[in-house]
Amino acid sequence: MTDPDLLELADESPEALYALLEERGWGDGLPVVAPTPERVDAALAGAHADEVIAVLPPRGGAATRRAIAVNAVLAGCPPELTPVLVTAVRALGHQRLNLRGVNATTHPVAPLVIVHGDAVDDLGFNSGLGAFGPGNRANATLGRAVRLVLLHVAGARPGPGDASTQGQPSKYAYCTAESRSEWPPYHHSVGVEAPSAVTVHCGENPHNFHDMESGDIERILDKAASAMATFGVNNACISGGEWFIGLCPEHAATAHAAGWERGDVADYLFERARRPAGEFRRQFELLSWAGWMRDAPDDEMLPMTQEAANIRVFVTGGAGKHSCVIPSWGMTRSVTLPLVP
Amino acid sequence: MTIRIHAPVGPLADDSPQLAPVAPALSGGRIGVLDNGKPNALVLLIRAAEGLAERIGGRVVAVTAKGPRGNAATTCSPQVLATLSKEVELVLTGSAD
Repeated sequence: MTDPDLLELADESPEALYALLEERGWGDGLPVVAPTPERVDAALAGAHADEVIAVLPPRGGAATRRAIAVNAVLAGCPPELTPVLVTAVRALGHQRLNLRGVNATTHPVAPLVIVHGDAVDDLGFNSGLGAFGPGNRANATLGRAVRLVLLHVAGARPGPGDASTQGQPSKYAYCTAESRSEWPPYHHSVGVEAPSAVTVHCGENPHNFHDMESGDIERILDKAASAMATFGVNNACISGGEWFIGLCPEHAATAHAAGWERGDVADYLFERARRPAGEFRRQFELLSWAGWMRDAPDDEMLPMTQEAANIRVFVTGGAGKHSCVIPSWGMTRSVTLPLVP
Repeated sequence: MTIRIHAPVGPLADDSPQLAPVAPALSGGRIGVLDNGKPNALVLLIRAAEGLAERIGGRVVAVTAKGPRGNAATTCSPQVLATLSKEVELVLTGSAD
């Protein structure tokens, strides 16, 4: 064997592969699929294997199409998901996402992948009941493959490459898909006019809020505002951070029936998710705030982000009346890219 | 049966960062402190730098932040790095935010 990228495993059993990964400090702790050349070639589907999609810190690993495909196979991704994974990795490499900080921080941040448009149905992603998991192969393996790319190519292993104090469950796999709604798809709202797209937002696990009773969108969103207006999230001290609001289809339908667009939901939450400036100051010595917020008197009610445009609304989930807010790590911006087959 | 598998790590990028070579001797060296912006980091770093200086007969000659708008989540400005590389043999800093 001359290719240094290829390893020989004397035993094809899952246990032997598991042991090899453990010995080398690879993997996410769960069993994997063996990335044999045949499987990796299938995932590559004839693409130029050495093309570098992104360079990922802190290791400075080159996320070549081959390296991405290897991790796709390890995660159990079917080959047709490779373009989605490549797009997500491309997003991770964008400077505005600040992957170096995402991996270096003690915050539990994980990149959330949201799949939009035709690809949701075409590739079998689940945007319905249990969209955040478990039980759907596309959501589970795509999210897991992103994490494996981070562990292996970016070197984001807990300790030397990922300083998160506690980690969080979404660091195993964090992928959902956008449900169809009365609104145009999310990616159109951020200027990506493509049939399908992928968004990566680096944030916390979803924080649930529910309203089972009302047909009043303001009462529903007051609960979202309540979930947002907490001092425990980084958005409280970093005003440039985004929020992702994952409305369930029924809550979104209530908003639409009242004549509200996405932007109206964001505007409402910007006005309602507030705390007095003096309370922020009592809680934090270090506040990374916009200038106009720094000048506010103690009794002025300040928002949980410096502008309404930082509140990003998408629809996901199935029947029922549970929605979620997803706080940001703060020093990161989401990236939405068109999905290129 | 023997199987072949691909390693999952991929190559390092051509311009991937490398660790600086280890200084041959610290005795009498000039020490710098690069504040990473976290609460109390500067207190700890200065205390550690002073302790080290005492042990090696060196001096703490530079204490600096990362540069304009620098904070725990951002990289250090090239100007600050260039200055430190001229003024000191060793820099203490925090690697995480």
